[in-house]
Amino acid sequence: MIGKVIGLVFSPIIFSIAFIAPLIAQSLTALNISFTDVPNILIGLVIGGCLGLMAHFRGSWIWVK
Amino acid sequence: MGEVRNDINTSDINWDEMSDDQLEVMERKIASKYMKIFPLGIIIWGFANTFIWLSLWPLVLINILPLWIAFPIAVLNVCLAYLPSHDAQHSIIARKGHKLRWLNELLGHVSLIPFVAPFRYLRYTHFEHHNNANDPELDPDFDVHAKNRAEFFKKIILRKQPGQGAQKDRYIDALIRTNKTHVMKEAIIMRVAYMLILYVLAWSGYALEAALLWWVPMQVANIYIPYYLSWKPHHPGTEMGRYKDTNAFKSLLGNIGSSGMQYHVIHHLYPRIPLMHTPAAFRELRPILIRKGCDLRGL
Repeated sequence: MIGKVIGLVFSPIIFSIAFIAPLIAQSLTALNISFTDVPNILIGLVIGGCLGLMAHFRGSWIWVK
Repeated sequence: MGEVRNDINTSDINWDEMSDDQLEVMERKIASKYMKIFPLGIIIWGFANTFIWLSLWPLVLINILPLWIAFPIAVLNVCLAYLPSHDAQHSIIARKGHKLRWLNELLGHVSLIPFVAPFRYLRYTHFEHHNNANDPELDPDFDVHAKNRAEFFKKIILRKQPGQGAQKDRYIDALIRTNKTHVMKEAIIMRVAYMLILYVLAWSGYALEAALLWWVPMQVANIYIPYYLSWKPHHPGTEMGRYKDTNAFKSLLGNIGSSGMQYHVIHHLYPRIPLMHTPAAFRELRPILIRKGCDLRGL
């Protein structure tokens, strides 16, 4: 059980939602970039989530394997 | 910062006329001189570095220090965090039983805070590296080896990807082999705490601060430190043996930029010589190292 929880903490999907998504959102805000009616955090979750899923299934965050 | 007692005048010695036994005696005498130096510099380095890094957080969060200034400082802090603990891993500050042993261990733990690494885990795996340097089966750092710089950078980036656990497995194997698996708990706790702190900061509105004061500096340090401490001094890493497993080298970034690793050969020969005195020890030992067949690469 503990092993599974630890694995979850380090998993790319959790990392992308818990860190990458708010990082993207706050970066957009800091750069004064916003899209009408779409909160930056939603954009962050979409982009971050896609990156996390890609990393999860490909085994890599980047294009080089 | 510790003084060297220069009882040995090496400038008048004709090294070519010395026998192997005489060289051995002289080598040990010179090394012993440097091993006796109290490493005040690295103690100050380790504690100051961690203090500065910790100070960045409140200074940035209450808008005293701009993040764009704090970021390069944080990168330096994290890159500099390992080496003070490295001296402590080798008990250079104080051996077991010495009255300052507590200082040795405290430095070892505290200096690693920015680098999020557990002291005892690094100590025991590092000893295995020393005992088995360049051994393809037993050296925990063997996976760092690469045929050239480009391949090193490619390997180190690929190692960070999900599921690439080759080096971690080597470290775990080393701990199993040496009956030190109990220190893995510390490693797990530290890393889980690090991730959770990043997540909490990110969702509390401090994702940029978390990224630029910690996460990005960690990525940089996890390339810089293996490059200079593991790959470069052991490259090509095909030979084993006391005078063969580590080389000297001349770095484009100089002694400071390479964290003193140009002289890492001295560290592998005499691990108890403090880091900050390896350049001086190298200069005195150089004629002996040449006679012993060390690859000094013109240094």
